[in-house]
Amino acid sequence: MGYDSILNWVTFDNPVNNAFYPFEVYNVPYDIGAKLWELIGGTLAWLINLLVPGNGVSTWLVSDAVVNALAIILMVIVIFAVGFIINLTMIWQERKVLGRGMDRRGTKIGPLGYFQCVGDGLKTFMKENVVPKDVDKKIYWWALALVIGTGVLAACMIPLSDRWFIMDFHAGILTIYALFALAPFFILGASWAQNNKYSMMAGFRAAELMISYEIPMLLLMTAVILQTGSFNINGIVNAQSEMWFMIPQFLGFITFFICAVAESERAPFDLAEAESELVEGWQTEYAGMKWGLIMLGDYFRGYICCGLIVLLYMGGWLLPGIGGTAVPELVFLAKIFVVFFFFILARLAIPRVRIDQILNAGWKVLMPLSLINLLLVVLMQTGGLI
Amino acid sequence: MSLVVSYIPLVVLALLALGFAPLAWWMSRFLRPKKPTAWKQMTYECGSEPIGEANVQFRFQYYSFGIIFLIFDQIATFFLIWAVAFGAFSNSAILWGLVFMMLLFVGVAYALKREETIWI
Repeated sequence: MGYDSILNWVTFDNPVNNAFYPFEVYNVPYDIGAKLWELIGGTLAWLINLLVPGNGVSTWLVSDAVVNALAIILMVIVIFAVGFIINLTMIWQERKVLGRGMDRRGTKIGPLGYFQCVGDGLKTFMKENVVPKDVDKKIYWWALALVIGTGVLAACMIPLSDRWFIMDFHAGILTIYALFALAPFFILGASWAQNNKYSMMAGFRAAELMISYEIPMLLLMTAVILQTGSFNINGIVNAQSEMWFMIPQFLGFITFFICAVAESERAPFDLAEAESELVEGWQTEYAGMKWGLIMLGDYFRGYICCGLIVLLYMGGWLLPGIGGTAVPELVFLAKIFVVFFFFILARLAIPRVRIDQILNAGWKVLMPLSLINLLLVVLMQTGGLI
Repeated sequence: MSLVVSYIPLVVLALLALGFAPLAWWMSRFLRPKKPTAWKQMTYECGSEPIGEANVQFRFQYYSFGIIFLIFDQIATFFLIWAVAFGAFSNSAILWGLVFMMLLFVGVAYALKREETIWI
């Protein structure tokens, strides 16, 4: 192609027209990625073409295949960055609300104290890497990488709207939940590998916690899926365009909320961390950057819990009566922050439960409640009420 | 558009998400100090010197719950599949599903009632 202006290289095509477009509907992060690469790659192509006129590299840089490949990479980075920023905002929200609840200011650096979490994150970068000599090195590192990795992956797989997603699964909610529920397994491995008595007790507590909440949570998801007849997240959200599922399934909503707090291992169910009993629980021997990453992973898990509640019971990115808005992503995020506010209130108000209390509550209170919820939904569904 | 193509973004995301923690940890090596001492490398037990190994046979007390959980997690997964096909069921299929569920929960109720004697 002969050069006459930079517009030969930067065209801002509609990404759907790309021959290799991997989705069936319009996708915002892909569009952002494609346009970013049009700018970067287009400028590169222009510069190369100025130096060596009429070469093939410039044309190759802005061909459909290269634009698609780079758009996918940039899209993933955009999705991850947005998840990261949501996460930082949730940490900031928690510290501010906890501070107000305890009659102090909370974070103070930056506008409204927002940058304190960023500063804390940078601080953990400069901490010494202390590894005890008795640990089982392989499991010590791999369990840590996987407990954070699966959390981050599941968090990035939560769609913010019907146009902001990584992939439109038919089994979306199942895949997210399966990745999410892997964590106690890795926590048990990490706690065993540390060769520390406190950590080991904490690891068994994490497994015990999972035994208590997992089955009620699955039964509650069963009730929601029974009502929609689909594992697809879009299907579940669109089924709630008339009425949020928290209205016919209010019992299920309350039970799911309790289970979700337990699943994210936040107070009052932070048995595996329990800093006043078990030092720092399963994180005792993870110092410096490793601890910082674990903390970040914890908030990613909190974000998944809020996301599941919003998707299953609160209509996702749709508003009742209005339906879709101009920016469904912001509606979804607003709902997530409201749910997370109640998570923080629970942490603020309720003391930590004992291990036998959560076991008995899980099996003798939460499971019957989730079963009653499921039976109610079956009755309403066969009776044609919903 | 084939199924394989639609999975490519997810594969890239999985690489980024699973590589995120090792990468961040590896990057911090350029900033952090490294002064290991014998004290720092000792297992932490609130200041006292650790006695013995921690990797011992641990008696976890929720043994009976663990066994019930093992069975019930699979049953709950089965009910997820039962629920997704619910709209196409005849009345007798719904009824038999519920009877099956009730039988299982009677079993759990019995096991939990006897749980004091199994609790070790």
